[in-house]
Amino acid sequence: MKHNLTIALKSQSIAIERFLRVVRHRGFELHNLQLTMVNDQYHVEMSVDSDKPIYLLTTQLSKLIDVKDVIVNDKQHTAVAI
Amino acid sequence: MTGAELTIDLLAKHGVNEVFGYPGGAIMPIYDALYGAPVKHYLTRHEQGAGFAAVGFARSTGKLGVCFATSGPGATNLITALADAMMDSVPLLAITGQVPTAAIGSDAFQEVDVLGMSLSCTKHSYMVERAEDLAEILQEAMHLAQSGRPGPVLVDIPKDIQMAQVPFKPWLAADEYLPELDLAQVAIANQLLHDAKQPVAYIGGGVQAANAQNELMQFLTKTQMPAVSTLKALGSVMPQYEYDLGMLGMHGGQAANIAVQECDVLVCIGARFDDRVTGNLAKFAAKAKIIHLDIDAAEVGKRKSAQASLIADLKTSLPALDGVLTPTQWREHNKAMMLKHAWRYDYPGEKVFAPYLLNQLSQRMPQTGVVCCDVGQHQMWVAQHMKFNHPSNHLSSGGAGTMGFGLPAAIGAQVARPNDFVITVSGDGSIMMNIQELATIRRNNLPVKILILDNQRLGMVRQWQELFFDGRYSETNLSDNPDFVQLAGVFGIPGQTITKATEVDDAITALVNSEGPYILHACIDDKENVWPLVPPGAANDEMMTEKA
Ligand SMILES: Cc1ncc(C[n+]2csc(CCOP(=O)(O)OP(=O)(O)O)c2C)c(N)n1
Ligand SMILES: [Mg+2]
Repeated sequence: MKHNLTIALKSQSIAIERFLRVVRHRGFELHNLQLTMVNDQYHVEMSVDSDKPIYLLTTQLSKLIDVKDVIVNDKQHTAVAI
Repeated sequence: MTGAELTIDLLAKHGVNEVFGYPGGAIMPIYDALYGAPVKHYLTRHEQGAGFAAVGFARSTGKLGVCFATSGPGATNLITALADAMMDSVPLLAITGQVPTAAIGSDAFQEVDVLGMSLSCTKHSYMVERAEDLAEILQEAMHLAQSGRPGPVLVDIPKDIQMAQVPFKPWLAADEYLPELDLAQVAIANQLLHDAKQPVAYIGGGVQAANAQNELMQFLTKTQMPAVSTLKALGSVMPQYEYDLGMLGMHGGQAANIAVQECDVLVCIGARFDDRVTGNLAKFAAKAKIIHLDIDAAEVGKRKSAQASLIADLKTSLPALDGVLTPTQWREHNKAMMLKHAWRYDYPGEKVFAPYLLNQLSQRMPQTGVVCCDVGQHQMWVAQHMKFNHPSNHLSSGGAGTMGFGLPAAIGAQVARPNDFVITVSGDGSIMMNIQELATIRRNNLPVKILILDNQRLGMVRQWQELFFDGRYSETNLSDNPDFVQLAGVFGIPGQTITKATEVDDAITALVNSEGPYILHACIDDKENVWPLVPPGAANDEMMTEKA
């Protein structure tokens, strides 16, 4: 299933590598990625696809020290901030 | 103060008095700052040895373990220890030297993108880009390694920053987000506990990480709930607890595995439903409602969904559970199962029977001693046949299963606990993976004991070849290994070889009473297998046992 996520990240390129590694390794295919620097943070809009439930990704992403915020924007989901 | 001096100074200020490492070009300023510093450095003979010594130090004390390596090959040699610490949630700080900032990205001599390599094997990692950030990064790194779910943190410091004048900036712990206990979930959990007829507590490494052995024992004492442990949890449940069913999983005891398969409520306490524990996941505890206690939200529902999830420090979540007394019938049933499936040490052969030897060693070594395992059959025999009263007394590479772990981990444990009995139980395969650390034992006169269970084989692999690969013994014969007692002798370590069952008792006496380091080389049958065994794909109650 496809999911749209909004993520706030520390504005360091290693933070991008770190979170993208997790997306791949945990079994989510990247379909779209937009990155903007806003107020000293990276603002990321991303859509991913997987058979796995999305919480398996959001809980892993939320653990990363560089990740400040993860929001799932799916219509069927109420937005959850973790 | 230079960056190098600040690094050593901060370690000392945070109570790090011992570090393990290996020098080289890109970390020379830090080694220079170590010269004459109050922090004692233990030179290992390979960076992996330094990494595992730091892991042994951390796991045997609950304190931060620290290791150093130079750039390039020094840092890559640390990676296995980082991965091991990641899998087993060990608080570890790795400091690596890096080529000077101006040379980064030029394929300079001994330049490797260590930060890039660290991503999959650390909890967090840094490369220091500006001298003024160093103080803050080091303090944050030490904090992160130990907070929440502990893990390895790497700080890569370019040589110019080690040499630059740096300011000290106090860093106030902006804590990692730690969840608060959800009272609605606690209520669901307690209702499940009240309704349970056949509950089982499934204990994991989280108990040690949270330093929550007391809270665990209070819960068990009140509930009298049968308890099963993962490899990493062994020692968390006090050995005198009446309903301690021991280890579960692939080489777990039958009583433990069957109890989990039959239970109606499984209380998972700081464990993660690892595949070596669950066997066929769909068939694992299939009738049970799950109450999952963990500080890491990502573990809850990762492999098995939970009916109640208590995401918090175990020191908070365990006392929130009601102490509902477990129904007598279920308790008695499990006790009977324990008796029925008790380990047997009557062995018909004349050869040394490893389970008997280990069981005797366990009874005769000091209770405060530390056993550091390697990986293979001998590791499973230790888990099955030795008793521990604290998880910091049983160091075994769990999640990663890294051969070569035992000897350097024992060095770290002995440095951390100089007055305790420390022994590595290794195999003839594993010991050769970090054999160079015998030199570290000798240099520091560490009284580390070494027990090699020598089956002249990569026994665990050989067992699988016998059972699942038609006896095609591909590359598992080690009968041309050197004489281990002679080898240890070259490093000034005395010891003896035994080959017969009748020699075991005296050999244990000699080992336990030896003052300095000592090696006991026990030759065992090359065909001995570890039983019981849950074969791949099977449920945990479909165990293979020794053919009569
Ligand atoms: C670094 C590493 N390489 C390979 C393995 C795979 N492996 C697991 S157990 C084992 C055999 C270990 O042999 P030994 O140390 O003699 O122990 P035994 O099983 O004979 O008791 C091997 C090769 C591993 N776990 N770790
Ligand atoms: Mg062997």
